[in-house]
Amino acid sequence: MSEARCEIVRERLPDFVGGRLAPSDAAQVQAHLGECAECRDEAELVGLLHAARPAAPAALAQRIASAARAPRRRAYHPWWGVAAASVAAVALGIGVMSREAAAPEDADVPGIVAGVGEASLWVADDGLVAGAPALEGLSDEALLQLLEEMDTGTTGGAA
Amino acid sequence: MSHWEQPDPVPDEALVRRAREGEEAALSALVNRHTDAVYRVALAIAGDRDLAQDISQDAFLKAFRGLEGFRGDASFRTWLLTIVANEARGALRRHGRRRESDLDSAPPLASHAKGPDQMAELSGESARARKALGRLPEKQRLSVQLRVDEGLSFREIAEVIGSTEGAARVNYFHGIRRLREWME
Repeated sequence: MSEARCEIVRERLPDFVGGRLAPSDAAQVQAHLGECAECRDEAELVGLLHAARPAAPAALAQRIASAARAPRRRAYHPWWGVAAASVAAVALGIGVMSREAAAPEDADVPGIVAGVGEASLWVADDGLVAGAPALEGLSDEALLQLLEEMDTGTTGGAA
Repeated sequence: MSHWEQPDPVPDEALVRRAREGEEAALSALVNRHTDAVYRVALAIAGDRDLAQDISQDAFLKAFRGLEGFRGDASFRTWLLTIVANEARGALRRHGRRRESDLDSAPPLASHAKGPDQMAELSGESARARKALGRLPEKQRLSVQLRVDEGLSFREIAEVIGSTEGAARVNYFHGIRRLREWME
């Protein structure tokens, strides 16, 4: 038996035992197995593995389908994209306003926080500066925290 | 290699399009069609049935949230199995070492496997083969499982396990060789 032929057959065995081969290909594999004990042994192993492949618990598909149909959690709702954009836009506004108020000698400093005095910087708990490009990489949870802090800042913070 | 499969009444790609448009029946159809494969991959990596169920659910929900980003470069199934493999690895990092206990017991046979007589005849050797499969290193285990259970090509396996097509082929044949040695 040629090794090349065995190699082709062994590569096809999973499809053979799984009934995924075209009938003509399956017949060729079957014929080869009749002549080659080595490939026949491997076919037996593949068949054993395939026959005992585990199935998901009966209720799992229903559970997943129900979860998929349920209203999406807040953290994953599409309005998050809008919220994130709003945060960025407001933060950008703060940066621009701060820049306008800055002393002229600071105006050529690059970055949206240029010229902002230390006390004017709005820094989140995790040390990120509002409006910085890193805002894009924030997780949903971090964005939620930023949003809540901004709410606090514009209402309670003004008092 | 020519594949011959019963054509599905509705291809995955059509279900994905309908799911994107918000059709709940399409989501359910995708879940029903792929839950077994997703669960098997989760179980192969996590080694714990309860955890594998949670991972399966998380993976489906993540996939559905990301449907807009699914470009169709790979099949939906390969894309989904890649997601579940990543979810399972993440869960394993959070929950600690892979558990072997669930793999030591005889796994439930797929409902479409065999009739009662054949199941009784096969169950002993099949369970032994599956148990041996669980002892293979992860990439060999997944390569064998994805090839045998799910019929993925080596190129698709490479996408799921994060390797080259050649490495997936080598992992598969090394895994099979070791299983044959252990089963002798």
